[in-house]
Amino acid sequence: MGPLVVNEIISENTNFLLAFLIGIGFGLVLESSGFSSSRKLAGVFYGYDTVVLKVFFTAAITAMLGLLFMSLFGWIDLDLVYVNPAYIPSAIIGGVVMGGGFIIGGFCPGTSFCGAAIGKLDAMVFIGGLFIGVILFSETYGLWDKLYMAGFQGSPKLSESLGMSDGLFALFLILAAIGMFYVAEWAEKKFPREEY
Amino acid sequence: MKPRVILSISVVSLGLLIAAVPQNTTHPYKLTADQLLEEVKGRQQYFSPDELADMLVNKDPSIQLIDVRSADEFEKFSLPGAINIPLTDLLSDQYSDVLNQDVKMNIFYSNGTVDANQAWLITRQLGFENNFVLEGGLNHWVETIMNPEKPAATNPNEELARYDFRLAAGSALGGGGAVNAAIVATGDQGGAPKPIVKKPAKKKASGGC
Repeated sequence: MGPLVVNEIISENTNFLLAFLIGIGFGLVLESSGFSSSRKLAGVFYGYDTVVLKVFFTAAITAMLGLLFMSLFGWIDLDLVYVNPAYIPSAIIGGVVMGGGFIIGGFCPGTSFCGAAIGKLDAMVFIGGLFIGVILFSETYGLWDKLYMAGFQGSPKLSESLGMSDGLFALFLILAAIGMFYVAEWAEKKFPREEY
Repeated sequence: MKPRVILSISVVSLGLLIAAVPQNTTHPYKLTADQLLEEVKGRQQYFSPDELADMLVNKDPSIQLIDVRSADEFEKFSLPGAINIPLTDLLSDQYSDVLNQDVKMNIFYSNGTVDANQAWLITRQLGFENNFVLEGGLNHWVETIMNPEKPAATNPNEELARYDFRLAAGSALGGGGAVNAAIVATGDQGGAPKPIVKKPAKKKASGGC
């Protein structure tokens, strides 16, 4: 049956409409969970607020379990689900740039729009910086394209690289996540901050 | 019990469950005739020249062009970055690593589409996943990318934008009238429906780069 777009159950336009509605819902949840506060977001790096880690890991686990069970029931063909291609050097460099920007700016791209939507000035400045970065990268793309495309690995899954079944990997990831949640809550008690 | 404990326990038990059941293998090793017919009907194996040109211009590392024509024809003209695996040697051991892998997308091409489609059919039936066919083959490539036909000014904007893209892609990928004439002249064994060379006058003008 699924994926809906690839199997032409819904059209590309319906897909955009659904994406729009899901996007609004996503923004609403982000804002109502406090993700429009840069201090709250940066808290994950200092340990006083780890809600970012908990929310995103919970989302990942929920989606992973949902996909695996839907595949088990024959509702979705996982071979047709898009997996991002892996480029090792650009993933590492991009991760460092993204992480650095996250600590300095206090936002990631999605949450900065969330913050700007409720009128936060720091979020708007962050979006300005985001666009400067996009323009700089595009204009100097010729200098980077070799590095950008280097180390292409196809679209591997961690479970495949580790030689285990998707389900077993999912179990390990769930256990790791729950362990991480406990460490995160411990960190929140260890490095408390009253007002932020 | 705290909600978080309940949640943790239920997620872990779902994890145990999914780890214990066999993976749903919707794709058997060999396709049934029905499944193959579905793929053919859905034209799932095709890459259009526009898609391919876009990927070539962007130097996309995820594709590998495979020329299934003879070595002679490959010598005369080939697409950028293509490797030559003549259809007759398709099942030779030295090529199995290229054809049966899940990293790159192989795109077969011949002058038309007959040879490329045969290569696709054989590899697909062997259960190989990542093989595709250039729609219309080299003849169609020459028509659309190397010598795009200028749409009338009354056409919708997308048509005109596509024309601009094809012009730019053609020159970026070394389009030239002289080369094109050579390919079209070799013809195909009944592949593309109409490998017609359009507007020879215009072709001369665009040649030489």
